[in-house]
Amino acid sequence: MKYNRLTIEELHQKLINKEITVEDLIKESKELEKTLQEKCNAFDFIIDNVEAKEVTDNMLSGIPYGVKANYSTKGILSTGSSNTLKNYVPFFDATAIKNLNKANAIILNKTAMDEFGMGGTGTTARTGIIKNPWDITRMCAGSSSGSAAAVAYGVYPYALGSDTGDSIRKPAAYCGIVGYKPTYGMISRYGLFPFASSLDTCGVLTRSVKDAAIVVDNMKGLDENDMTTFDSSNIHLYDSINGDIKNKKLCYVKEICDIDNYPNASDELKAHLENFKNVINNLRDKGLEIDEVSVDKKLLNTVASVYNILSCAEATSNMSNLTGIIFGPAGAGESVTDQMKDHRTKGFSPLIKRRFIIGSYVLQRENQERYFKNAQRVRRLIVEAWKELFKKYDAVILPVGSGPAKKFESDKDVISAETTILEEHLQIGNFGGFPSITIPDGFVNELPVGLNITGKNYDDANVLNIAYFIESTMNYKNQNSEERK
Amino acid sequence: MENLHVVIGLEMHCELKSNSKVFSFGKNAYSDDANTNVSPVDMAFPGILPVVNKKSVEQAIEMASILHCDIANTMIFDRKNYYYPDLPKGYQITQCERPVGINGYLEYDSNGETKKAIIHDIHLEEDSAALDHLPKCSTIDYNRAGVPLLEVVTEPCFNSAEDAIAYLENMIKIYQYTNISDADTKRGQVRCDVNISLANENGEYVTPRTEVKNVNSLGNIYNTIKIEEERHRNAYFNHTEELVQETRRYDEETNTTIRMRTKVDAIDYKYFVEPNIPPYVISEELKSKIASEIPMLPLERKHKYMEEYKLSEVDANTLIKNREISDYYNKCIEIGIDPITASNWVSVNILGELNKSNISIKDFYLKEEYLKQITDALTSGKISSKQAKEIFAKSIEEKKEPKNYIEENSQISDEATLRELITTIISNNQAQKEAYLNGKTNLFDYFVGQVMKETRGKANPVLTKELLSELLK
Amino acid sequence: MEFTKELVDSLADKLLIGLTDEENKMVLDEFDVIDKDIDIINTIDGIESVKPMTHALDGVELTSLREDTPKETPDIDDLLSNATNKIGREIQVPKVVG
Repeated sequence: MKYNRLTIEELHQKLINKEITVEDLIKESKELEKTLQEKCNAFDFIIDNVEAKEVTDNMLSGIPYGVKANYSTKGILSTGSSNTLKNYVPFFDATAIKNLNKANAIILNKTAMDEFGMGGTGTTARTGIIKNPWDITRMCAGSSSGSAAAVAYGVYPYALGSDTGDSIRKPAAYCGIVGYKPTYGMISRYGLFPFASSLDTCGVLTRSVKDAAIVVDNMKGLDENDMTTFDSSNIHLYDSINGDIKNKKLCYVKEICDIDNYPNASDELKAHLENFKNVINNLRDKGLEIDEVSVDKKLLNTVASVYNILSCAEATSNMSNLTGIIFGPAGAGESVTDQMKDHRTKGFSPLIKRRFIIGSYVLQRENQERYFKNAQRVRRLIVEAWKELFKKYDAVILPVGSGPAKKFESDKDVISAETTILEEHLQIGNFGGFPSITIPDGFVNELPVGLNITGKNYDDANVLNIAYFIESTMNYKNQNSEERK
Repeated sequence: MENLHVVIGLEMHCELKSNSKVFSFGKNAYSDDANTNVSPVDMAFPGILPVVNKKSVEQAIEMASILHCDIANTMIFDRKNYYYPDLPKGYQITQCERPVGINGYLEYDSNGETKKAIIHDIHLEEDSAALDHLPKCSTIDYNRAGVPLLEVVTEPCFNSAEDAIAYLENMIKIYQYTNISDADTKRGQVRCDVNISLANENGEYVTPRTEVKNVNSLGNIYNTIKIEEERHRNAYFNHTEELVQETRRYDEETNTTIRMRTKVDAIDYKYFVEPNIPPYVISEELKSKIASEIPMLPLERKHKYMEEYKLSEVDANTLIKNREISDYYNKCIEIGIDPITASNWVSVNILGELNKSNISIKDFYLKEEYLKQITDALTSGKISSKQAKEIFAKSIEEKKEPKNYIEENSQISDEATLRELITTIISNNQAQKEAYLNGKTNLFDYFVGQVMKETRGKANPVLTKELLSELLK
Repeated sequence: MEFTKELVDSLADKLLIGLTDEENKMVLDEFDVIDKDIDIINTIDGIESVKPMTHALDGVELTSLREDTPKETPDIDDLLSNATNKIGREIQVPKVVG
């Protein structure tokens, strides 16, 4: 294996210099794809006969990449990892895919995910459980599980993800790679299967911050098919990265990071937070100003429930088009209603059925004020709290999750009263549409852990630059689940 | 027996005219072929997103303005969630939280009296697909899915079927006058939900409200109201049935209404704000620009015709039936034709002619200026009213300006006048007559000359020659 | 609000979803969690006076909308390519009555 630790920049140089060919890259990716599929079950659909494309000035030209199963890809099976769409082949590309096609990027496969993104474990894909390549007894987190596993394994330098609560940034942390969710509206969602429209964001998983910048530079842009996109033609992410952090100020939230908040902390959690503290101190030594700040704990405690209520409500409506009439396998039954019900009953996994019911309940006329609208109200308060921090700080830096990847037996997807803010704070990035990136920041029990940097809207270049600086102070850039051991 | 009256509220849906659909780039056009005017959005393929059509929003603001509504400062949309095979997304995008217009009114004439309909709200939404029913299955045509609809909801403010229909007729005319919609009931572009209950003299409701869904022609709406009023009266006075709040539908074949569901099974639509459409600012500038471009509306025109031009209500109603006719009439007045004269010409002769030849006034040869040539000649006594009608017909037939025929008619073409004149000339020229009869045939021209001399050249030459040959015998 | 098996089944039915007894029970368990969560939300002071946040980029308002220009209809074969039941140019479903 020759290429699977290289960055996009390096691969591009080698292609331009004709040290390697596009065919070589595809061949190696295909071999890795095969072994990873056997090991971790990371793919929803593997494309036979991937065709080479011409190498151009564009850094993505001729380089293979993975696409999460919830992106529409023309002529290529697009299932959202759901049985309701197990035979769905779109006749149009998602705008993000269209943009990458223009760059001559090469789709290698569709990566498996939690069904329609509605899960954080990688255990609800129609193709089965997705395993973590660092340790196959552990999960990748989700929902961009397959994308995270494939990039960590080195199948290709990047794979597309989507992020509604933490679906790019959590699996990135569990798999020791970079996960970047840009400002809401930077990348068009047209053609992305929706989970919760006011939270869904397209993004990418890579092995370095610069690679993430290169990919999103090529995916983003105003789209006439998505009214929530904005014009970012003046934002050049890759070109903005220079590692200069002069006058940059970060903060972390005491109520999330302090070990004293967790009286029953596991050893992994202790090690994770200790590592985070060391990273912060190291960064301070390197000249980055980082303050500890406080946020109302009462407000932080609502994050998970606000997320559950809003995401379930929007999801139940968004997925009402899944009836098996126009696409997807038709259900059986005498009447249309029977057929729709049969399609939905057989097609959806138990987890998302439960979420639909909760979503439907909180939207009902008599419940809407108490549940849905109050959740929307608290969403605003939480977002305002973060915006308040952004007045003084360039970004908020926080540890991701409560440690490294979890064992499969701990099923986080049953919404649990014990859920801690540490597990769920990334959702705040979706509440506000904030640009947010996870990078690896160390190892606990020989497994990667990550930290997250979240900044204010449209300030992606600044957030990436800070992340790039932090990445450069550590040794986890371009790490690969196979070569580390 | 208690004196009860019917109370009616209307929810009128009207399809709007535009090139593309309200939330997609699909074509907004009627087609006999299924699925020829659709975009992926209209069929709700996974990952599609709505994109709001500017024209539809402006049409909605215009209509809200006409209905004297309080117009929203931002346009926001909501999802109305329910499952039906004609609703591909499983929700309809509509407006619930803040419709484009609220708290308005509209005046309409009913039975010679001007009345006021109270508008609860007006909102912009999308139409559903059309189900075609075959003997053993149904099929779905998405051409109609996503066609812009305006729904105008009134308060329960009508007390008779006649009032309800008069209001709807006025609404239809307004849609047509503003060119917001063809409002063609025959093509199903107008559909109504009709709410009916009975109230006593104190205005208290005595029967629970019935909603009859999706009634699609004025005739059917009228029938629906009459049937329901009767059903409510029977139930109230004769206890024929226990009335409950319910939703029914009208069945055209049997001319009855049929229960769909009662309040107990009412659908909870779980409305919430559509997150994929950011709020759109309706600026004061846009509101006033749109308001300033509203044409004079039919009722206003009618009242002007009656008060200012002293037309009868019948004539005024005839003239406002369609905007082009009314515009034609207005232009006639503008260029100086007497209003009564113009009204007579337009409502009798022109409408008759248009009917006969089955063309629209836009394609009608006789423009307002040409009509004026006729009416002027008539007023100045140049032509008789009989001649005026002949000139009108000839001008249309030969597509020549009336003035050509008016000139012609100012020659002496009246046979009786000429006959008298020629008889006198012959009797004053007995010698020439004798000579002519004895073979000097060239004397015929002498007589012609005499007639022309006497009439200063205005005698109709053909007729003159005809009469001379007859009388010189 | 009392959460019951019947309530869950009726909610599921309206969503055109069938539940096994086991699935039904899981929803019931989660309802308890959701209800506790909402109690936390409802302890936030002055919550009723906050404007609900409905869009991700709050405060972003559009000042222009797309022009009224239609696009070509995709090929009918593409439109129907994923449908299981079709007839001619249309999607076919069992006869819809009422």
